[in-house]
Amino acid sequence: MSAVLHAHPESGPSLGVDAGKRRRALSEAGQRGRWWRFAAILIITGIVLVPIMVTVLLAFTPGANSTATGLTLENLNNVFSKTLAATWLKNSLVTTLSTVVVSVAVAAPAGYVLSRGRSKAVSGYSLLLFVMQSLPIITSVVPLFILFAGMGLVDNLLGLTIIYVGSTMTVATWMMAAYFDSIPTSLEEASWIDGCSVFGSFTRVVLRNSLPGVLSTAIFAFLLAWNDYLVAIVFLRSNEIFTLPMGVQSFFQQNATDWTSVMALAVVMMLPPVIVFATLNKYFSVGGIGGSLAGR
Amino acid sequence: MSSTTQSGLARARRGVAPAGSGAAPGKRKSKLTAQATRTFFWLLLPSVVLLVLIHGYPLIYAAVQATHDGNLLQTGNFVGGQNFATVLTSPAFWKAAQFTLWFTIVGVFGSWLVGLGLALLLRTKIPGGGTFKVLLLLPWVVPIVVSSTAWNWLVATPDSLIPSLFRNLGMGTPLFLADPTLASITVMVFKVWVSFPFMMMMISAALASVDTTVYEAASMDGATRWQQFTQITLPLIARSTYISWILMTIFCVNDFPTIYLLTGGGPVNATTSLVVLAYRTVFQDFATGPGVAIAFLMTMTLVVISVILYRQIRKSSVE
Repeated sequence: MSAVLHAHPESGPSLGVDAGKRRRALSEAGQRGRWWRFAAILIITGIVLVPIMVTVLLAFTPGANSTATGLTLENLNNVFSKTLAATWLKNSLVTTLSTVVVSVAVAAPAGYVLSRGRSKAVSGYSLLLFVMQSLPIITSVVPLFILFAGMGLVDNLLGLTIIYVGSTMTVATWMMAAYFDSIPTSLEEASWIDGCSVFGSFTRVVLRNSLPGVLSTAIFAFLLAWNDYLVAIVFLRSNEIFTLPMGVQSFFQQNATDWTSVMALAVVMMLPPVIVFATLNKYFSVGGIGGSLAGR
Repeated sequence: MSSTTQSGLARARRGVAPAGSGAAPGKRKSKLTAQATRTFFWLLLPSVVLLVLIHGYPLIYAAVQATHDGNLLQTGNFVGGQNFATVLTSPAFWKAAQFTLWFTIVGVFGSWLVGLGLALLLRTKIPGGGTFKVLLLLPWVVPIVVSSTAWNWLVATPDSLIPSLFRNLGMGTPLFLADPTLASITVMVFKVWVSFPFMMMMISAALASVDTTVYEAASMDGATRWQQFTQITLPLIARSTYISWILMTIFCVNDFPTIYLLTGGGPVNATTSLVVLAYRTVFQDFATGPGVAIAFLMTMTLVVISVILYRQIRKSSVE
């Protein structure tokens, strides 16, 4: 075998025969290797997912004072009846969905300009977006807290949404720009000749063909807003204004021993992003985020 | 002037372009350019307004706060560089800076190595490979609030699952969150656990574009697996690796929930990063000036780093 590997191309016709043998031997080894790799990835995935499996399992396990056996929905019922879980869920959904909609609505046009504009100002703006997204949000949080306090936007879901839109907008703009880069300009040029305005061709031609890009950006904004903790902990004060991260965290701190209820609430919080990702995952590529950086 | 307006209006009536541009009639291209510039301005405006409001204004105000002795309600008196002096001479700051550095190094390279290994494994033919790929993204998709709670359940007390496991194996009872060194390691492992799927996705995307016949040719020429990896695979994913390192560095330096939710920065500040320190200084010690000064120092460092990196990325994309 190794003789074949080291054989030079000029070693003649024997190479073809040996290569054939070699390929067969390799494919048998490949079959065995496949199952070894399957076992390896199965074990790795199993270990990696332990924290998530534990969460789900505990959420459906009867609590300490429960009479139920086997798996139960009791914890979920308890969480919704005894805490503000329903309010927190609603707050999170409202904030996150508004963030997604506004963020895409701001990022799509800006991304279009970044994609098509070739002036110094546009590339300067692109640099500015990159710098801004790399800054720690804690720096802007304190000044914004003071600004928003004066406007009644502290402990307020609108205030939270504004900050989420601001912080998702930077990366969202690149993601849109990278997607628009992949749409040929000839489409717009054709519509211009037909008398379409620049804005009209953007909305009717470019945007209409950008559903995967829009979805990818929307998923990104969704994950960011849904998972945020730092902005929420600074800006939210009252129980009924909490979003789920704050709700889960405060509930955890007050009931650290009541693990089954804590985990039931955790499952409520993790379900929406998992569902979004499971259904739309084919549209989402982190490669897209990296690519938007690389391509620009 | 009036003639310009008239010709503009005339053109507007003809429906060629909105009024106001000074371009000579008939030059369709330049009219379009002028119209495009105007449209671009309006398309960009909301984004610029938000950037100024959410990023620009706070940054300037942060500079003001960092040089004043105020609190969360008022700006206070100008104290010059006193806050910076306080911060830069405090051991807590340097300890946090050191932890942030280690956290970032382990976070970036740890998650890269795990992500690379899994991406390479998943690239080969494995029954159910696609399912594993999606399942392995879960640590990244699940909110940190949820996963940190689960990790707490697994390791927090001596009677938690993992310490009990160690005890039953006769390896003592490690206090994962109570021992300063172990707590630092636990937080970093948690960060790697959260971040590796991101790296895996980045590398997988880069690997997907590699033509596999290159490897066949290489093995024909007698290249070993290791040689194929170092000579073919690594150079081909170098660009996306570089970008993923940059992004992950930014994610790690700016990370708050991963650390704060697992350890709160303790025990005895062993896992206090710069962001956690800034947060606690402002919102728990109510020392707004020094807290913002910490954040501001981080910001300045990151501005310099990110401008350099941005240039590097652009340069490498021209090649």
